[in-house]
Amino acid sequence: MMEKLRLGVFELTDCGGCALNLLFLYEKFFDVLEFYEITEFHMATSIKEKGPLDIALVTGTVSTQRDLDLLREARNRAKYLIALGTCATHGSLQASVEGRIRDRLERVYGTRANPMKALESKPVTDYVPVDYALPGCPYDKEELFQVLMEIAKGVEPVRKDYPVCLECKLNEYECVFLKRNIPCLGPVTYGGCNAPCVRSGLGCIGCRGPLPGANLPGHVEVLRSLGLDDEEIARKLRTFARWEP
Amino acid sequence: MIIEIGEFTRVEGNGRAEVIVEDGEVRKVKLKIIEGPRFFELLTLGRHFYDVPDLEARICAICYLAHSTASVMAIERAFDVEVPEEIQLLRELGLLGEFLESHALHLYLLAMPDLFGYPDAIRMATRHGELVREGLAIKAFGNYIRELIGGREIHGINVKPGGFGRYPSVRELETIERRSESLIRFARRAASTFASQEPMGAKAELFVATDGYLFGDELVASDGERFHYTEIEEHSLEYSFAKQSLYRGKPFFVGALARLIIKGDQLTPIARKLLEEHWEKLSTGYVTYNNLAQAIELVYALERVAEIARTLLDRGIQGENVPIEVREGEGIGYVEAPRGVLVHHYRIDSGGRVTFSNIITPTAFNHAMIELSLFEEAKRRYGELPEMEFVQRLEEVVRAFDPCISCSVHVVRL
Repeated sequence: MMEKLRLGVFELTDCGGCALNLLFLYEKFFDVLEFYEITEFHMATSIKEKGPLDIALVTGTVSTQRDLDLLREARNRAKYLIALGTCATHGSLQASVEGRIRDRLERVYGTRANPMKALESKPVTDYVPVDYALPGCPYDKEELFQVLMEIAKGVEPVRKDYPVCLECKLNEYECVFLKRNIPCLGPVTYGGCNAPCVRSGLGCIGCRGPLPGANLPGHVEVLRSLGLDDEEIARKLRTFARWEP
Repeated sequence: MIIEIGEFTRVEGNGRAEVIVEDGEVRKVKLKIIEGPRFFELLTLGRHFYDVPDLEARICAICYLAHSTASVMAIERAFDVEVPEEIQLLRELGLLGEFLESHALHLYLLAMPDLFGYPDAIRMATRHGELVREGLAIKAFGNYIRELIGGREIHGINVKPGGFGRYPSVRELETIERRSESLIRFARRAASTFASQEPMGAKAELFVATDGYLFGDELVASDGERFHYTEIEEHSLEYSFAKQSLYRGKPFFVGALARLIIKGDQLTPIARKLLEEHWEKLSTGYVTYNNLAQAIELVYALERVAEIARTLLDRGIQGENVPIEVREGEGIGYVEAPRGVLVHHYRIDSGGRVTFSNIITPTAFNHAMIELSLFEEAKRRYGELPEMEFVQRLEEVVRAFDPCISCSVHVVRL
């Protein structure tokens, strides 16, 4: 029998969803276990085996010294590191909070002291090289399943490089932007989620991060024409990632 | 001497504890919430109210609907908007789906391996695969409801001030009614499994919950007092990113056990019978019976979900949102998240922008009680158990609270 690949899940600061989403594969999770042995995953198991890993899945942002140490450990031990979810790939919400960390600590805890070593929240990709980045808040679990299966078979997974709009077209969803004038970031956002927000008749909020090469200035112009002011547009764009127009 | 409990496993988020022993006696326990701070209240300041529930949902993946619902309720109160019963029932349905998903995750995948002596549910499945699969079936059903009401299994954006983006269809409601009834048998088995667990931790003396079973207008304590969350004092600790809360200077308990003790009379028939059957144990107040209480709530959620689906099918879905007129205002949303009371409180200006935001999560309310429980259990077991078992036992006590550590790290009064 083929030897199983060693997989570790490392959770930095986040909502827990990206780790949880793996368990939401249900029966397919057992298929993953045919190819992988999970040697650590603190939300799911009390087992912690040190040693080299074939794959490290890292979720969350680097928001404390503890996160940074854990990330470096994961990178050093793993052959292949996947930054999983928008926190890890783009920083997501907590990286978009404005103001310096000491000021924020003061506002929340009433002191500028930082005994627990909080850092400015940043994505994993700012600190270490990653072998694959899978965005999404949360990422699409079917996409992760495919990526894990491809790696198990020795195939390098390909990153999606089309906007959310394409998935609306494939699903034949009514375009909320053109038909109902609802602000939507679909045209400038990485596809791969299968457009669940548009399925609900709502606009895409850009949770998979900016699609490189998309016409952002043009899209900003269209959002203005819907009556949104520049401040609101900027906030929408900055929510999940640091978009550079 | 300090006994370190390394990062807790099989809980959501990152935390650890320190047991301080002097002269052979346990003197103090520190519960350290080391998950990085996430500053959600700061994030929402200046935002347009319409976008806020989608952002707040991201506080927690396990109970994102509780967050978006509490957020939407606070916004509606600020604008003096009343939603019709249909929308309330659909929100309740979503929250019940979340109870099923969250309780099943906690009971079957995180807590149950302790009862059978396994390090995780994957290994437990080799001997008890049936139980794990039953748990996954309940969890998947809960997520089906979350996806239907919330728009996605995790972090959907379908719950909006004044209503929903999309309303469920007749066929989807029929599916819910049918599937929930077939799962009750599994949930009853979970209740009898957890009834065998031995009591651990502290005996909680005071419980707090919202006045309705899943949401309400104010809080009630087990001593009968009704009050607003502002009566609860919070304070910062230098060893934790989460603050501690005290009510009248004392730790208190929120969660499934609190709900059953305060609101047991609101349960559905089978759940109510289970409550009576296990009342002797539950009423002792031992915090580890929170597991048993969650199992009884699985039964309640399954019964209630079918009831709601039937009601909506009988009256038909209108699917109309209530229009919102923007004006200056202030509102508090009280919701029962699976882990207990959740509060969202905002002030909104005349332009519809949030100017004040305060969120307190169940784990922040329970923080002092978790610490007290660790202390009591440590005093009871220190010197009696070998260190590794001692540490495991303390982890089991933490797990019973079903803590959601990543949610707890940004409680603030701005």
